[in-house]
Amino acid sequence: MIMDEMDLVGQLKNAAPLRSEAYERARTALRGAMAESEAARASEIAPVPEAAPMRTERSSWARDRRLGILGKVAIGAGIGAVAATAAIVVVAPSAPRPAAPAWATSQAPAAQAPAADIKLVSLVTEIKASDDSLQGDASLVVRTQTIDSRPPDVTYNLYTDNGDYYVTDTESALPAAISGHDNLAEDVNAREVEAARYAATGDLDTARKQMVNAMPNAFGLGLSPAEQEKAWEKAMAKDRSIYQQKGIAPPKRPTGKALQNLIDNHLWTGSVDALARGAANPEIRAGVLKLISTIPEVTVKDSTTGGRPTLTLTAGPALFGGSDEQVLTIDARTGMPIRSEVGAPGRKPSSVSVFEVSRVTLADIAAGRF
Amino acid sequence: MTTDAELIGRSLAGDTEAFMEVICRHEGAVGAYLVRRVGREAAEDLLGDVWVAAFESRRNYDRSFPEALPWLYGVALNKLRHYWRSRPAEDLVPDLTGMANGWDPWPAVDARVDTQAALRLALDRLRPEEREVLTLVAWEDLTVADAARALRMPAGTARRLLHQARTALRNAPEVVVLLTDLNSVKESQ
Repeated sequence: MIMDEMDLVGQLKNAAPLRSEAYERARTALRGAMAESEAARASEIAPVPEAAPMRTERSSWARDRRLGILGKVAIGAGIGAVAATAAIVVVAPSAPRPAAPAWATSQAPAAQAPAADIKLVSLVTEIKASDDSLQGDASLVVRTQTIDSRPPDVTYNLYTDNGDYYVTDTESALPAAISGHDNLAEDVNAREVEAARYAATGDLDTARKQMVNAMPNAFGLGLSPAEQEKAWEKAMAKDRSIYQQKGIAPPKRPTGKALQNLIDNHLWTGSVDALARGAANPEIRAGVLKLISTIPEVTVKDSTTGGRPTLTLTAGPALFGGSDEQVLTIDARTGMPIRSEVGAPGRKPSSVSVFEVSRVTLADIAAGRF
Repeated sequence: MTTDAELIGRSLAGDTEAFMEVICRHEGAVGAYLVRRVGREAAEDLLGDVWVAAFESRRNYDRSFPEALPWLYGVALNKLRHYWRSRPAEDLVPDLTGMANGWDPWPAVDARVDTQAALRLALDRLRPEEREVLTLVAWEDLTVADAARALRMPAGTARRLLHQARTALRNAPEVVVLLTDLNSVKESQ
């Protein structure tokens, strides 16, 4: 028999089977969701805890990892969505501030906030002064990502103002994604946007805590050291069986600078995600920049991109486990993200994403009118 | 036997065990679907998310289709898109929000894929939607119509994409070499 290309592809079909405990774990996760659904239907009231609850039956690390994804995907969702009003006052480039601000590691939730970066604060002032009304009810973000020397990967991301999120590989596939209800937004996204909105006018310490806690975590922010340790142990206990299956010892609770960096990683990821989703709203953008301005490992410098003034925000390697850094370029007048680069400091970035954003209406996209 | 569509209908009426029955019927197939695309370790992490997403969106299930497997593949694909966009090598800096000390959450590459590197390379060069149709047909044994349903596209579009994918593969240098070698060996036997 002559083999053809389908036969060849078929040779890759064999796959290692899942372990039986994995099926059981998945079913348990489903039962948990069913129980939550039942409870919600019974009460018709969604609880609003200080920290987002971890879904009991699902591993917290797996869920958290995914929650960060949207931020990664979505940087720059609102580029160009809001018109500029006036140039900001430019000051000297900022330097990294001393690490370990009190708020991150203190047991006292009302600890003093770290000094905010003056450039970002200036920009926040400008953004808040502008209140441009935007056309449309959604932002379409065309993201072109180039990784190393591979061909660019283009995705079409649609963020509606009411929080829905659709992503496809071609523009023409968006209508089907909408009609098929392929909404990929998760609850955490709404919490992140709300935290950013609060940050614009509310107490910054509270807002930071709100943003960090938008993603389930075991930090126990605001609790006493003993309670924090207890919260960590409780979280680890939930995942103990997974660690055992994988032959890994549950980690100890990080402390000091390591803990602060982990918390700041939450803050950065959540803030950038909120910037993508809520960029159409000046208040949310301002809130995001205020939050980012308090991260000691983020530095801000003046730059120029395509002839327009920009700010370059560098989130240092300490935020990401010591290996890579993320450099986010935003419009110096509007705060809109323009470009994201990731890679080892001082080397050619391994991943570069460029964003084109336009305001659209959901009805137009659903009808295939681009 | 009760169809998946009927079970989903019962689930919507409040019978939660009915949906669990649907899952038990297809967990092997969906698990294998995930493994083929992201490896076993990541597949084990994703499977529960797929079930939860399916449960939460079951109201959208078109009950004129008795079998739910193509729909479940579509739900799984959405979760895979989340996953693929999270991979640090392909995206931004590592997100530590879920990482504990010394924890490496990323799955090992399936060794089987290494042995078929040339073919994998050719598959990688296909457009994503071409690759999805091709692998749903070749690996999951779906008809083109069911693959179209999983991908929420017209059957005609799926047929065109499959044709394009097969043509591109057939003309890929790596595949030409592989097929020439394999068919030569067969002929000489």
